[in-house]
Amino acid sequence: MREVLISIKRTPFQSLASFLILFFVLFLVSLLFIALSFFHGLLSYVETRPQITVYFQTNTKESDIFKAREELINSGKVSSVRYISQKEAFRIYQEINKDNPLLLEMVSADVLPPSLEIYVKKPEYLAQIAEFFKKNPAVDEVQYQKNVVDRLIKLTSLLRKASTIVVSYLVLMSVFVLATIFYFKILQKKDEIEILQLLGANHYYIFQPFLKEAVFFGFFSSIVVFGSLLGIFFYFYPFINNSLQGITQLTLVLFSYEISLWPMNYLFLFIVFVFTTFFGILITAFSAFIAVNHYLKK
Amino acid sequence: MIVFENVTKTFPSGTIALNHVSFEIKDNEFVFIVGPSGAGKTTLLKIIQREIVPTSGTVLVEGFDLTAKDFNQTVPLRRQIGVVFQDFKLLYDKNVFENVALALKILKLPFKKIKEEVRKALSFVGLSKKEAFFPIQLSMGEQQRVAIARAVVGERKIILADEPTGNLDLKSSWEIMRLFQKISHNKTIIIATHNLGIVNDFKKRVVSLKNGQMLKDSKKGEYLL
Repeated sequence: MREVLISIKRTPFQSLASFLILFFVLFLVSLLFIALSFFHGLLSYVETRPQITVYFQTNTKESDIFKAREELINSGKVSSVRYISQKEAFRIYQEINKDNPLLLEMVSADVLPPSLEIYVKKPEYLAQIAEFFKKNPAVDEVQYQKNVVDRLIKLTSLLRKASTIVVSYLVLMSVFVLATIFYFKILQKKDEIEILQLLGANHYYIFQPFLKEAVFFGFFSSIVVFGSLLGIFFYFYPFINNSLQGITQLTLVLFSYEISLWPMNYLFLFIVFVFTTFFGILITAFSAFIAVNHYLKK
Repeated sequence: MIVFENVTKTFPSGTIALNHVSFEIKDNEFVFIVGPSGAGKTTLLKIIQREIVPTSGTVLVEGFDLTAKDFNQTVPLRRQIGVVFQDFKLLYDKNVFENVALALKILKLPFKKIKEEVRKALSFVGLSKKEAFFPIQLSMGEQQRVAIARAVVGERKIILADEPTGNLDLKSSWEIMRLFQKISHNKTIIIATHNLGIVNDFKKRVVSLKNGQMLKDSKKGEYLL
């Protein structure tokens, strides 16, 4: 640690440049990682929602709704149909808006429509079933999720592709810049390296101080990036909370483990920190390795 | 043991630094390599450390064949060799103790052992009281003594010195040469110099080079003119 601090003190501008480029790259990469995680979480959430929700008029008799449900089940096109009565709809409404007494006061069970939540066996049945219910005069509205899912899948895929390109570019740029900075640091220690080589030091011994410095830069930058991300997150928390209103939980499946993204979860924050740190250390260590290797081969 | 067999070194510029040089140096032998500038003295020392590879011929050092095609033993070879330079090659941002310790740190010895060995070496070169000094605070002679201490620590079998007295006054030169003599009982010492006064007074084996060719291999005690 002492050696690392001495080296930073001796090359303050190069060290600052290393930190700034790392901060920039890690900040963007972490932000993309979080955004992708949320998009995946959102996609999983939408996929678990009913594919078609049919809202009936509030005065529709339960027997008419059951008749329609029976007909639907007998068609063999659906995997499951769930009936939500007005009472159950009101209970769900109460649960969602438990923190907002004003909204709770304004609504009673009578104004909420009964509904059927339908999961189809094949996506191509979606349009047929939606059409079937639209013809029914007791039906008030048919909500059809296919477009939302499709759009979200496209958006997630686009974001993943864009992230791959952006991250590749950022990694390449940072590796070149950091390797150049490390090369300057190596040149400043060339007398020491020459003596070490003559005394019989192996390549790893020569690489070691630069590796330590790289790990320090990677770790320090990650901490600053993580702190900044937390600060930004808490600043925008009310806005995010508002945007995700109605969504009780977002989860991400990572290596077959289900991690909760929303409401804010410490495990996910820890994963972001580990990812940022690992990525930061990997980039700097690799850059230092390239620089030392290039110097020693000369 | 060091064996040079018909060794030639030609640089890319076409300069022939060594031309069919052959000799043998036994363990614990004290040898001077003499000759004018450009004779090939430094090239010869660099070949022993495998800083450069000969163009042709065979070089054996402590059982290592330095001319083997797939030679990858530079690190263990160099750990057997201590080097002393005309310009000392000390690190000016490290103190005397740290400069000497460098040769042991690369061997990954425990700090206690390093401390013990460095203090022994500094006591041997008469700098025990100056271990916390930085090279800039020392005289030229003292700096060269630090370099010798660094070269002898770590049980190195061969000591190579390239013009070790080149930057020193007469008194310091003699002090340095006496140090080499003191360590010569269990180490092979090879000193490249053009200080014939010292060479004649020491009465050791002398290999004379000129224009890359070996002129003479004088036995112990033979005077050079």
